[in-house]
Amino acid sequence: MQHINKNYFQLFNLSESFDLELDSLAEKYRQLQAESHPDRFANADEQDKLRAVQLSSYLNGAYATLKSPIKRAGYLLVLNDRDIERVEQDELGMDLLLEQMQLRESLSELPDDESALPALEKIKQEVMTKLAVRQQEFASQFDKGELDEAKKAYHELQFLNKLLVEIEVGEEQRLGY
Amino acid sequence: MALLKIQEPGGEPVQPLHRLAVGIDLGTTNSLVAASCGFGVETLADSDGNHLLPSVVQYSAAQPPLVGVAAKAQLISDPANTIVSVKRLLGKSLSELKAGNLHLPYEFDPDRPDGSPAILTAGGSKDPLQISADILSELAHRAEDRLKGSLEGVVITVPAYFDDAQRQQTKDAAQLAGLNVLRLLNEPTAAAVAYGLDTQDQGNVVIFDLGGGTFDVSLLSLQKGIFEVLATGGDTSLGGDDFDQALAKWIQEQAPVAEAADASSYWALLQCANDAKHQLSVDASVEVNWRGCSLALSTETFAEITADLITRTINTCRRVLRDASLSVADIDSIVLVGGSTRMPVIRRAVESFFGKPPLTNIDPDKVVAIGAGIQADVLIGNKSIDNSFLLLDVNPLSLGIETMGDLVEKIIPRNTTIPTAKAQEFTTFKDGQTVMSLHVVQGERELVSDCRSLARFELRGIPPMVAGAAKIKVSFQVDADGLLSVSAEESITGKKSEIQVKPSYGLDSAVIEQVLQASREHATADKEIRSLKEAQLEASQLIDAISNAQDVDGDLLTEPESTRLAAAIKQLKTAMTGAASKDIRALTEEVNQLSGDFAARRMDLHIGQALRGESIDKIEQ
Repeated sequence: MQHINKNYFQLFNLSESFDLELDSLAEKYRQLQAESHPDRFANADEQDKLRAVQLSSYLNGAYATLKSPIKRAGYLLVLNDRDIERVEQDELGMDLLLEQMQLRESLSELPDDESALPALEKIKQEVMTKLAVRQQEFASQFDKGELDEAKKAYHELQFLNKLLVEIEVGEEQRLGY
Repeated sequence: MALLKIQEPGGEPVQPLHRLAVGIDLGTTNSLVAASCGFGVETLADSDGNHLLPSVVQYSAAQPPLVGVAAKAQLISDPANTIVSVKRLLGKSLSELKAGNLHLPYEFDPDRPDGSPAILTAGGSKDPLQISADILSELAHRAEDRLKGSLEGVVITVPAYFDDAQRQQTKDAAQLAGLNVLRLLNEPTAAAVAYGLDTQDQGNVVIFDLGGGTFDVSLLSLQKGIFEVLATGGDTSLGGDDFDQALAKWIQEQAPVAEAADASSYWALLQCANDAKHQLSVDASVEVNWRGCSLALSTETFAEITADLITRTINTCRRVLRDASLSVADIDSIVLVGGSTRMPVIRRAVESFFGKPPLTNIDPDKVVAIGAGIQADVLIGNKSIDNSFLLLDVNPLSLGIETMGDLVEKIIPRNTTIPTAKAQEFTTFKDGQTVMSLHVVQGERELVSDCRSLARFELRGIPPMVAGAAKIKVSFQVDADGLLSVSAEESITGKKSEIQVKPSYGLDSAVIEQVLQASREHATADKEIRSLKEAQLEASQLIDAISNAQDVDGDLLTEPESTRLAAAIKQLKTAMTGAASKDIRALTEEVNQLSGDFAARRMDLHIGQALRGESIDKIEQ
């Protein structure tokens, strides 16, 4: 497998930081795919075709990672040698654990039918606000080089994202989709 | 289109740049072939001027197979040998079809060693590969006839929701017909290309594709010649056929006739329902005549009869929007594809859901073939890079691997842009394990038995190590056709193994849309099952470990400790047979606590033994 030497940020000619312009990222992605995609190499030899598939795959992975705030955050930490698969005990503060438990409890206490929808929507808004705030915190902590703090924020973001998905699934189930 | 040959005197003759490639829409009910004709891409007609080729094949003992209009005319008089809707059989085993809800009154061949659903006809046992190949051959002949040349390549469309097995079979059928497949193109994407290049529209477009037997919804972003699929969803067993079935059932209920339900009358009833359905696309109400009874059928009544089917299509639209993280307000246009979208009940439902009328000026029968023809031109090399477009498609179903306890570990989630590659590390679970078996599945459920099996393969020659020490890197590569190849490498020895995924016959797995739909319904239940299995696994591993430890160092436990531990383990074993994962976890924790000191004593003992085995010199150093 050919080694592609650039990391995702380098591939898109971006600086390694959390904040980025999604529209401009999408534009760059389309330009890069227009050059690398296997369909552009319909008449090429087998080696070129293989390279095209590899580069195009790598590009797709890069775009998917940078496009998603949580994946982008995780990737930044990985680039700085943090093991994001492991959560250390001291990385989850008491207040965060309590917050997690509270949110989970309020979700589990809701009835299974449509009457729960307004309450679900309220919790959803609360979670989305917290997400936005934590993302800002991650961005500034990372840019300042406070990687331990940033990692904590990252794990909080993971939890909040999972919760958001659960809430949306809960909404769909109650609406009968 | 022939190019003028401009030659230097005495120089090399210039090769004509135009190579013959066509697009083929291999549909459940009708098929079409389209090619570039100087002014653009158009569908090709037969000698009678028909562009549509009914996907019907009739087999007889003495003659070659009859394909198309002539075959369709034989359906009611010769039902056993006239095959329709063969697309619904692709990629499935006979046992799967029998377990499902397919209503095809054919006599299936019970003796196929590979379990494929072959039909016994006067012309012999015919499997879906052969039948599809016969349809493809007919289209290829039509193309070569009209274009006066031999085909160098074809682009064949498949429902976006076709799984790997169905795609592979489509490709195999084409090869059987002697065709060189340039690409398997998703039907909604093909339609988007035809529509997008024609209108030059930009923005978010929903392609709502309801054919004879399959349903797809794709959401694309069109930007300056780049067609990016954001999400796709569908149902490979939902189409016009099902609307016919529902109506036929209603007709029978309204006008019950006590006669033998044989194949001929079955097709006659379906034909009656089909005619009524078509009529409703033109008139607000029709008169259905069946066996002497006259029934009044309005669009409203038809909507009631088919309410479930319509809801399924709209729910799929919801899921696709959600997967793309978009709302109805973000959609700029909705394009209807497939003959079944002519039904007013469908048009109303789509307009109601999206809040704007869908576009219907594009011929819903031809647009897929035309899109395929456009892509064929690009892939054969007729177009230069400057004036061609780019398609970025996605995989419709998550790919995963079986892990311990019948659980699925997802490797590539659905709606990932392709081509894509993902590597994942696995390890051994037994001491000294030298072989690893990997089972690749497609689907959204938590348990392997609820997903679609794709293939199994083995990695051999893993150096024997302690359980958990080997690092096996498995790479999944999905190419631009949506086909999967898997390779595995053990990191320490560099030992490799590779396979092209082949359909798994003989395994009873759920059909795709049932898989996805059921996964929504079962999300919570699945999580609980998963949690239970994990708890059971952990408990079982702990019990085994303690038992092994006691065999070696049982004397490190006092009588009362041993008794207490045994009692706790007995309780745990009982809990493991139940369904309360909470109880299992609590009891596992208890056993853990009770055996904690035992483990510490073992550790001291073994370290002590190890140290005593060393020479004094080494310790001092």
